[in-house]
Amino acid sequence: MADEMKQLFEERLGRYHAAVSLEPHDRIPIATGSNYFAEVYSGNTKQETIDDPEKWLQAEIKFCQDFPEVDVLRDNRVYGPLYDALDVKTYKLPGRELAPNTQFQFVEQDYMKEDEYDDLINDPTGFMIDILLPRFFGELSNRGTGRSYVAMLKAGFAQMMMGGVMRNRGMVLEQQCGMPQPMAGFFLAPFDALADAMRGMTATFLDMFRQPDKVLAACDALVEEMVYVALSLGDPLKRYPIFVPTHKAIFMSPEQFDTFYWPSFKKVMEILIDSGYSIRAYLEGDWGIHWHHMREMPKGRVLCDIDSQGDIFQAKKDLEGYQCVAGGVQDSMLILGTTDQVRGHVKELCERLGKGGGYIVSGGCSFPYDAKPENFRAMVDAVMEYGWYDKSVKAKPKPAPAARKVEGLKPRKVLTPWEVKKAELGQITGDENLIKKNWEQLEAMAHTFIWQWTL
Amino acid sequence: MGDIAQALANLEEKKVYELVDQKVKEGANPLDIIQECNDGMIRVGELFSEQKYFITQLIFSAEILKQVMKKLDPLLAGLQTRGAAGGKVVIGTVKGDIHDIGKNIVITLLKGAGFDVVDLGVDVPTDKFIQALKDSGAKVLGMSALLNFTYPVMKEVVDAVREAGLRNQVKIIVGGTPVNEQVREYAGADYYAKDAVVGVNICREVYA
Repeated sequence: MADEMKQLFEERLGRYHAAVSLEPHDRIPIATGSNYFAEVYSGNTKQETIDDPEKWLQAEIKFCQDFPEVDVLRDNRVYGPLYDALDVKTYKLPGRELAPNTQFQFVEQDYMKEDEYDDLINDPTGFMIDILLPRFFGELSNRGTGRSYVAMLKAGFAQMMMGGVMRNRGMVLEQQCGMPQPMAGFFLAPFDALADAMRGMTATFLDMFRQPDKVLAACDALVEEMVYVALSLGDPLKRYPIFVPTHKAIFMSPEQFDTFYWPSFKKVMEILIDSGYSIRAYLEGDWGIHWHHMREMPKGRVLCDIDSQGDIFQAKKDLEGYQCVAGGVQDSMLILGTTDQVRGHVKELCERLGKGGGYIVSGGCSFPYDAKPENFRAMVDAVMEYGWYDKSVKAKPKPAPAARKVEGLKPRKVLTPWEVKKAELGQITGDENLIKKNWEQLEAMAHTFIWQWTL
Repeated sequence: MGDIAQALANLEEKKVYELVDQKVKEGANPLDIIQECNDGMIRVGELFSEQKYFITQLIFSAEILKQVMKKLDPLLAGLQTRGAAGGKVVIGTVKGDIHDIGKNIVITLLKGAGFDVVDLGVDVPTDKFIQALKDSGAKVLGMSALLNFTYPVMKEVVDAVREAGLRNQVKIIVGGTPVNEQVREYAGADYYAKDAVVGVNICREVYA
């Protein structure tokens, strides 16, 4: 059993890796990134999925058993107890503000004000902890009280619990179901970090016209922070790509994109790739005027999910030989269509997009959880019928590329560097390195904790 | 096109404010200034349709207009407003969905085009749409969404409009990221608007 699962895991991961890196494989992988359908199919409410890790895992196991043709299954990213401990205002959650069966939703606002750019640019992490997080977290509205300290303490515990849930889940799916993950860890394009949770979209766009230099400087300042969040949360074995959803690019003109969005985004991706990772980028909305930029990235290192609004046939053409594309199955057809329609649609995708490899079957970025189960089955069956290249090809998982010396990556700017603490301590009677190592590890974890709230 | 309209269409923010201040000082009728701004906004909409402008520019133009209205509001008291030539439009993001950026862009352009907009906000329950249609007598209902679980919700609203006996008087437009022709057909709406400008043009057609 264990051997069989190990073999299945390697077969699936090998197929996924080969498709992403534009190398030969046996068939088109069925490898959607976000698959909320899995839990809904298995009967969970949206609230159960974020609040009850055991029910979540059981639902995923059931999904893996019923759809063994699927090649990867993604991680959950919202763990309810962590959000409750802090009273996170940037999200509305099922079972809390939303009905138990409604998906969690992001609440965008100008949490950061127009005259606060310099504070962010001069001390990004200090700005987050002192200014923004108290605006994000209801439990920090009375800072300095016992309740606020305990809220942060509980959040730290909850973060560790979440890490445990994710590790266990990854191991169970790997060992019991032979199921790899499509991605692990995340970051944002610096412009999105600014324009999602910090300034919000409308305010950031106005700033782009009114104080362009500040917007650019803020994006530059966020490069390091995004890199370190991604490196901390990524798969230590580098088997899985790091995830980046993109949010605001589609509203920008090509000139604005080239000036404000792309340079800092590219820099983050380059550093992660130099560190030995691949990237899975959701090109959300219609990226048609922007996606040619992905040709500038190292070949086969950025898997591009094409959203339902984008023309994936054009994307495949534009990125052919540069990056793998994922997507194609229309959300509305999965939700509203018939099995015959889905079958015909997926057949066409396999024939047209599958040609020459570099293609992964999926919905547009997030797979719709309201897809009819019979339509999901029809999609899978159509790939199993029309998605084969050469059954004799047995692609193996690729070992992580050797990490090169990463040019231009400065040390992580933690809140309280060891040197500061050391000076405060004055005298160290024993082995400094023992103390320093643990101090720095905890500071790094705190840094990741602080910055993860930009997503 | 007048100076203000031209400056607004060019997104020359400071110039727009200077010109408005100057005209106010010269004693111009604020309603004429608003009319010029509306002309400018229509030009912005055209540039968007021609793909010379993008959403960012629509948002910036809306902001400039908002600031101009702030200047003019105190002067409008007591003036006979020129009735909304374009007619009334009820609009909202459907139940379960709290996203409003797209909806708000549509509203700005509608107002710019002279429509009287009843904005119901986000997460709007079905009966609230019906009540607003009854209260306002609007001939157009616009439903917006970002999330794709809203298809049945849109259908529910269309069905409720029918049950309320309003279906023949009200044209229903659906729009937003997950919406397309298949969704329009499923929901039983009259029009699918692929972007804000298309939506405004449909409203113009209905009231033509």
